[in-house]
Amino acid sequence: MNKKLNLYFDNAATSWPKPEAVYGAAERQMREACGNPGRSGHTRTLEADRLIYRTREAIGRLFNIPDPARVVFAYNATDALNIVIKGFLEKGDHVLYTAMDHNSVLRPLGRLRRDQLITTTIIPCSFQGFPDLEYLESAYQPNTRLLVINHASNVTGTIAPLKEMIDSAHKRGVKVLVDTAQTAGVLPIDVQNDHIDFLAFTGHKGLLGPTGTGGLYVSPGNDLKPLREGGTGSQSELDIHPESMPERLEAGTMNSAGLAGLLEGINFIFDVGIKEIQESELKLRKYLYAKLQSMKSLTLYGPSDSNQAVAVISFSIENTDCGEIGYILESSYGILCRTGLHCAPLAHQAMGTFPEGTVRLSPGFFTREEDIDHLVHAINEIIRFTTG
Amino acid sequence: MVSSCYITFPTTFFAIRAESVLKNQPYSFKMVPVPRSISSSCGTALRCSCEDISALKNILLQNDLELEGFYRLEESGLKTPVATTLDLDH
Repeated sequence: MNKKLNLYFDNAATSWPKPEAVYGAAERQMREACGNPGRSGHTRTLEADRLIYRTREAIGRLFNIPDPARVVFAYNATDALNIVIKGFLEKGDHVLYTAMDHNSVLRPLGRLRRDQLITTTIIPCSFQGFPDLEYLESAYQPNTRLLVINHASNVTGTIAPLKEMIDSAHKRGVKVLVDTAQTAGVLPIDVQNDHIDFLAFTGHKGLLGPTGTGGLYVSPGNDLKPLREGGTGSQSELDIHPESMPERLEAGTMNSAGLAGLLEGINFIFDVGIKEIQESELKLRKYLYAKLQSMKSLTLYGPSDSNQAVAVISFSIENTDCGEIGYILESSYGILCRTGLHCAPLAHQAMGTFPEGTVRLSPGFFTREEDIDHLVHAINEIIRFTTG
Repeated sequence: MVSSCYITFPTTFFAIRAESVLKNQPYSFKMVPVPRSISSSCGTALRCSCEDISALKNILLQNDLELEGFYRLEESGLKTPVATTLDLDH
């Protein structure tokens, strides 16, 4: 009988562990600095305001956003994507998105399409998850207003050719929304150099913060219609929500405990260096990919060149239910991963793994090579067991 | 009679941004709840000496801040202070 471990290979869902300072900051915010930001004017309120401002500045520094007023906080990347999709698009618009996009993009667009407000075209992707750029060139229509790009797939890790896609859209005056759920904190992102119009990020994955944190960047000159309106602590006498950013897109009490944690997650990234984090995750993916590649009856999905992916790997085992593999990995070995469709049904159609799905392994910055050795040993045993 | 001056802001974001922009400048100021005799969109105001208010305003505008109003408050004893709107453009 194997000794049961506690190995976490589900960082693409949410990163774990967090840097120690993240836990402490969230707790301290609740215990010692708990005032409602923007509301009461006493010192704790001011402390909460300052914390939120510093977190905005940190996000700005991370993505090279010069004006922190263009950084808006939301619950997560899904929320941020909804704010852009529903706040930017108007009746009659046409939208392009790719087969690697997550349900957080597919569903809000699907709602607007079903309500007959917009039309959409899906850019097909290769087996490895790369969007068909030739198809993209032919997909624009006179009313195309937005191209949504999944910076890296949550199923295969495939990194999209961001520059080529953004150039292609901008040549036609089409705005670009980049979903960085799998890349923020892991790949260098520069909204000015990359000419990004809208960027959605989550706080609890690569940025190493708590769940319930995330947000968006809105480039100057693109004023979105707010998805939600309400209390901001300012202009309280008016029944119209403030127009000025970032309050324009934020309403209700902010998640100051979560943002305190997020700030420490980002500070950890600054301390280590994003290049070092990228290198470390690349090394882990290469190591894991090479080990899995040598196994018989196991099929790997996504790029074989790890330079073209973030640290996410999907696989399946011949004639074996992926849910069963996940169950055995946890119950017999104490290894946590994710199985199924990973909220990205079109990606699985592109890979030929719909509807059965795959097993997804996503190491993180704190994963060690020996953890991967344990994982590989477990998968080997499962293969031996299931394939006789 | 003691007088101090106030800058008010349209939103909390700009109040805190003002504090951040001014923290390395050679002026003393304090972020305070807006006095009741001043009407403001945001509950936090910047209190400073009336000699400095023009200089502070200029620094903030150079940093693209949105400002709402400028006030002088005359305090005498426990009486409600009287606020005067300042026109700093002239």
